[in-house]
Amino acid sequence: MENETNIGSKVAAGLLALAAAFGAPAPAGAAEGPALLAANCLSCHSAQGSGISRVEGQRKSPEGWQMTITRMQEQHGARISPEDKRRLIKYLADTRGLAPTETAGWRYLLEHDNNRVEAIDERYRDLCARCHSGARFALQRRSEDEWKLLMHTHIGLNPTLEFHSLARDRQWFQLAVNEVAPALARDFALDARAWKTWQAAPRVVLGGSWRITGYLPGKGAFEGRMRATAAGVDRFELAIEGRYADGAPLSGRGVATVYTGYEWRGSVDIDGIALRQVMAADARGERMQGRQHLADSRRMGGELSALREGAAPMVMAVMPAQLRRGETAELTVVGSGLSGAVSLGKGVRVLEVVSRSADRVMLRARAEGRDGLADVVVGTARGKGLLAVYDRVARVEVEPANAIARVGGPGDAQMEKVGVAYRAVGWAAGRDGKPGTADDLRLGYLRAQWSIEPADEEADKARDQDFVGRIGADGVFVPGDAGPNPARPKSLGNTGRVNVVAVVDQAGGRVEGRGKLDVAVPDFVHRALD
Amino acid sequence: MKHLKSLNKKAQRLDAAEGKPEAIEEVVAMQTVVGCTATTDPGWEIDAFGGATSLCQPMEADLYGCADSCWWPAQVPDTMSHYPDWGDGKADATRDWRKLDGIFEDKI
Repeated sequence: MENETNIGSKVAAGLLALAAAFGAPAPAGAAEGPALLAANCLSCHSAQGSGISRVEGQRKSPEGWQMTITRMQEQHGARISPEDKRRLIKYLADTRGLAPTETAGWRYLLEHDNNRVEAIDERYRDLCARCHSGARFALQRRSEDEWKLLMHTHIGLNPTLEFHSLARDRQWFQLAVNEVAPALARDFALDARAWKTWQAAPRVVLGGSWRITGYLPGKGAFEGRMRATAAGVDRFELAIEGRYADGAPLSGRGVATVYTGYEWRGSVDIDGIALRQVMAADARGERMQGRQHLADSRRMGGELSALREGAAPMVMAVMPAQLRRGETAELTVVGSGLSGAVSLGKGVRVLEVVSRSADRVMLRARAEGRDGLADVVVGTARGKGLLAVYDRVARVEVEPANAIARVGGPGDAQMEKVGVAYRAVGWAAGRDGKPGTADDLRLGYLRAQWSIEPADEEADKARDQDFVGRIGADGVFVPGDAGPNPARPKSLGNTGRVNVVAVVDQAGGRVEGRGKLDVAVPDFVHRALD
Repeated sequence: MKHLKSLNKKAQRLDAAEGKPEAIEEVVAMQTVVGCTATTDPGWEIDAFGGATSLCQPMEADLYGCADSCWWPAQVPDTMSHYPDWGDGKADATRDWRKLDGIFEDKI
């Protein structure tokens, strides 16, 4: 029999997702926010200042507030309708959110781009980030009292954490309350100039026409146009048209909400694939940058960039983004309002313009100059350093360099497989001729052949590489089935450690790159922010 | 430690690391990929050495022994505080693992 709590969670999540997909009522404005807080929260909290107790001492991302409200529902029985929850998240993120500079460096968690090893201050790592991400607390701002109360909440809800290594072997609670909480209050302070400045800054409406570029695992790089039509306060209906690098068309629709004046959260369906967009807009509302991922598997995604279309022509990208010296290749320049002569800088000859429109120019070009990043110019529009000109690929980096996949399935098993989308980044050696030094030239993403190998002797002995899964020609690693596997010693599951190997072929030899992959058991707890 | 004999691999490595603070640090504070836990002993995805040999394997064999007491509350629903019914109807995880469901808060 299914667990009621879990079903409840899924239904609630489904309702919220549906609300996002089909256009919920306009989110709460500043006027209706206090009324929402009063109606939904005052049965436990008390009025304080312009808000309520506890809430006044905190600022968070939209997802941070979502997690807070979810905890109130799950742990304290708060009855909040999906619609009110959405409005509360919007109101709280708008009035008690984070400034753009406060999220800088931590946006990977908002984007669910989690296949990385975090750089976290040791005292925070050993106390907090040994169970969950460091970005989870770094994307919060609290008063010292509130940081202390967070420690109390942790021991209250998870009392056995006292038995963990790094807890049982030291006076961790005293350390947490007396040393770490004050440090957090300094490093992640509630009162910050950045937030005051951002609150005072004029808001830019993010509707309009955007040129977008990005990458979708299994499909490849794409470019297109996203029209955002106002459908309420900070709410937009989206229409997307574009094409993948191989020329295949893409088309989609969706909705987006903007939180805190710059946090773009889109929910789109592109040719039957449900996707989520997480982007941050710059202060002028001219550019958005972030990630798009599968709605059902947030680890599977790729970068997403948007440039606002205006009266002035612009060059946004060139595909592919590299050209080897001595070779002739077809390139596509992507932009808006493109007209006039095409130039790829000194040393790159444009042999022929194959086709052109205001959105894209397809051309044949040959590079003969020196290694470097060339500007791409069409008429008066210039894209700085978009085309990498090189002689040799000196090294290959595998992205992500450190990753986790999760076994899942098969068939009716509740937990699905969580794969990893790999890409290979090429680098030229730079002027010093030595790969791995500061002057290396990034060439962008290259086509590669993919394989896996055991991570070390221990993994090889257990034949991890034969059980953990397989990687496709498109660089997507698909892990094995969940559950004990009688074919392995002690019925070990299909977990293990491997290296993912990318091989880039070029005339004169092949270049390899490696990434570390742990194929692990399922993650059964998917928080809004892990 | 003179009168104690290390029985498992982790204990043996701790023995080997004795007297070398850097080595002990490496044993207990391994950095992991975001959202994973390893510094608890054992971790959920990787052990304190960055490997898998010191994990509870297969995890289904003793899942509730650890999940009940919220050993990995960020990865496995703990039945102590948050999700008391999570294991209902799946008493033998080695047989019922297909029914183990997740908590999906990530859809807004």
